[in-house]
Amino acid sequence: MGVKLLLEKVHVEGIRLYDVYKREGGYRAAEKALKTMTPDTIVEEVKKSGLRGRGGAGFPTGLKWSFLAKPEGVPRHLVCNADESEPGTFKDRYLMEYIPHLLIEGLIISSYALGSNNTYIYIRGEYAWIVDILEQAIREAKNNGWLGKNILGTGFDCEIYVQRGAGAYICGEETALLESLEGKRGNPRIKPPFPAVQGLWNRPTVVNNVETLAAVVPIINITGEEYAKIGVGRSTGTKLISACGNINKPGVYEIDMTISVEEFIYSDEWCGGIKNGKRLKACIPGGSSVPILPANLLLKTAKGETRYMNYESLSDGGFITGSMMGSGGFIVLDEDQCIVKHTATLAHFYRHESCGQCSPCREGTSWMDKIFQRLESGKGKMSDIDLLWHIQYNIEGNTICPLGDAAAWPVAAAIRHFRDEFEWHITHAEEAQNRNYGLAHYADPITVVQ
Amino acid sequence: MSEEIKQEAPKKFTVTIDNIVVEVSPGTTILQAARMIGGDVVPPTMCYYTPLKESGGKCRTCLVEVSKGSEKDPRPMPKLVASCRTTVMDGMEVKNITSERTLHARQGVVEFLLINHPLDCPVCDQAGECDLQDLSFGHGEGGSRLDFPKRTFTKHNIGPYIQLHMTRCIMCYRCVFAADQLTEQREHGVLDRGYHSEIATYIEKALTNDFIGNVIDVCPVGALTDKTFRFKNRVWFTRPEDAHRDCDKCCGKVTLWKRGDEVLRVTARKDKWNEVQTYEDGTVGWICNECRFEKKNTSDWIIEGPTNVSRHSIKSVNHYINMLKPKETIPDVMGRNPKLLLDIHSVSDVNDPSIHLSKINGPATSKTFNKLIENKE
Repeated sequence: MGVKLLLEKVHVEGIRLYDVYKREGGYRAAEKALKTMTPDTIVEEVKKSGLRGRGGAGFPTGLKWSFLAKPEGVPRHLVCNADESEPGTFKDRYLMEYIPHLLIEGLIISSYALGSNNTYIYIRGEYAWIVDILEQAIREAKNNGWLGKNILGTGFDCEIYVQRGAGAYICGEETALLESLEGKRGNPRIKPPFPAVQGLWNRPTVVNNVETLAAVVPIINITGEEYAKIGVGRSTGTKLISACGNINKPGVYEIDMTISVEEFIYSDEWCGGIKNGKRLKACIPGGSSVPILPANLLLKTAKGETRYMNYESLSDGGFITGSMMGSGGFIVLDEDQCIVKHTATLAHFYRHESCGQCSPCREGTSWMDKIFQRLESGKGKMSDIDLLWHIQYNIEGNTICPLGDAAAWPVAAAIRHFRDEFEWHITHAEEAQNRNYGLAHYADPITVVQ
Repeated sequence: MSEEIKQEAPKKFTVTIDNIVVEVSPGTTILQAARMIGGDVVPPTMCYYTPLKESGGKCRTCLVEVSKGSEKDPRPMPKLVASCRTTVMDGMEVKNITSERTLHARQGVVEFLLINHPLDCPVCDQAGECDLQDLSFGHGEGGSRLDFPKRTFTKHNIGPYIQLHMTRCIMCYRCVFAADQLTEQREHGVLDRGYHSEIATYIEKALTNDFIGNVIDVCPVGALTDKTFRFKNRVWFTRPEDAHRDCDKCCGKVTLWKRGDEVLRVTARKDKWNEVQTYEDGTVGWICNECRFEKKNTSDWIIEGPTNVSRHSIKSVNHYINMLKPKETIPDVMGRNPKLLLDIHSVSDVNDPSIHLSKINGPATSKTFNKLIENKE
């Protein structure tokens, strides 16, 4: 059993309530932070911990916090990004639904560290019932003196507000989130200026993921140095992985980033192996927008080393033979799954969710979706594969926000690793309507290039 | 106090764009720096519009490669950046037409802009002064790889003056910014999302504000055109003349587009970047609806003379007089002379530069030329 920091107490009955959470050692970190530490020492502690953003990009949180501009007389804001819309990712939902006070506590500490008196939780619109849970938790925290004016007699005021989104994936992008929070159309802003300088209402703002802010609590509890000892290399601490797909035990797991991908999939402690005794075909290790990996590249890197569940190991080999940790949405596909159909679903999703602001994403995603629909309906042409490749190449890196990249990467990886399956879909159009390509050679050991 | 200002004033950033060095003041964007140089090193723009705040960054045609970030931090920027929204740093090195990556990306963007554009230039009033035509001619490919039906929209009537063709729109947001910043109450904006997003009013309203006619001038394509000029003439048959009148609402300085003595169209005066002119006192030459749509008699105007045409576009074809030649930068950048598709002056008498077409009243025919040539000889 690995180390558990976030989900340690999640199974205690009634942990959603303030009294139980407090009895189980909750709000210890907030008390320690507010009474014994200064904002700067908290930022220093988070820096020492090596905590990396859990939302997808993996940017060091302490560094992000230290970039926050602090002009005199201008209020600063902390915004919690709970707009968890990435297909395959549901870790924040679990955290907020079952142990909401952990997030509230993390928000109080982080708000104190950043000097934010008005802190916002921007929550995905579909998580309507979690809004009630969070508001209940905020009410309880406020009644017990953890929020409001002059918290614990330190002179620090803080209020937390919950804002529901309206169901747009793009509003999970930090600047689009800020626009939406301001009541505007959720279009990403053009950077620079970065939110750390001009964010919410043109004030310096930090936007962090739910899990990142929750992880601040154990960092304060056990100190940053101890936190940095968990995990490996620059992947410190624990990470929530939401595993789904064709596995025996889908769910949210907390891992300490030292276990291998093979162990994670096949061990009874975690995913419990592939469902119905099938074989592993492919896996998306970090939410729908990161590149998909075939079984042979997932378990072992191109150099023949074991692949581990951490930031560095999953991205080993770049996008050619690697992938990304992303937001931790671990989607497993067994031998019965069709990669073309799977990628078509993703292409359709990104076409639907593109905000339409910049041309490569608006036009490119819809074009890719149309081509995928054609491939799926058995009317594809061989030139479509190259065309898809060119379209994704023209989108990637040329858009305002990362949604363009997120739409391009899955398509690129699917063509890169599963090109013969695409070709089979075109050459055997009728057959492809009735059966799947199967596992083919995707699990064969790859030849190590010396 | 005054000494401090004097010391700060000469602080300039040195920027290299396509091997040409230019000194600009801090806060200038890469695009503006390139425009100071002029010529081919200027990235094309579809959504950026100097007089409109917050415009730009959306069309991605002005992407450039930054091969050196600044003197302090010489690392290159990993992604191509939108030159219209990126400010320069001291010692920055930018590659526009010397970068393969930029040209490739631009070609991709042009393709994206064109796949759902109807390409109905033969019946479009914007043809001849269309930014998208210039862009696709300069940077696009010959054919299209799209073999799906193009996107269509339900037609909306937005009033007696402005014609909206949503199929031609490239979603540059210029008109939204213009209406937002020029008029009291903006009534149109972007509806829906992504592929289906469209410029529209909510629900079916006429755009009636006094300055709303300026959205026609800012539109880079033929999505918003002048209903009073609709199908009346082609741009290249008309003759632009600067004129002014006393107007209590706007600056009253306009360009009249005439054929013979008939005023077919009135627009604001444009500068060489096809943007509404900003005058020396800092005011922008937006014009009101009355000047634009209702004053169509020559007697309404005091004519100043032919407009200085300075754009490479079909508009300039018949206007040799007062024509400003853009700066030629290709020899500096590429070390070679520009490639001409066809040297029209050496193969045709008709296009003799010494004949001032704008001085001819009415359409020019071969008879006019024969007469002129005979007279000259």
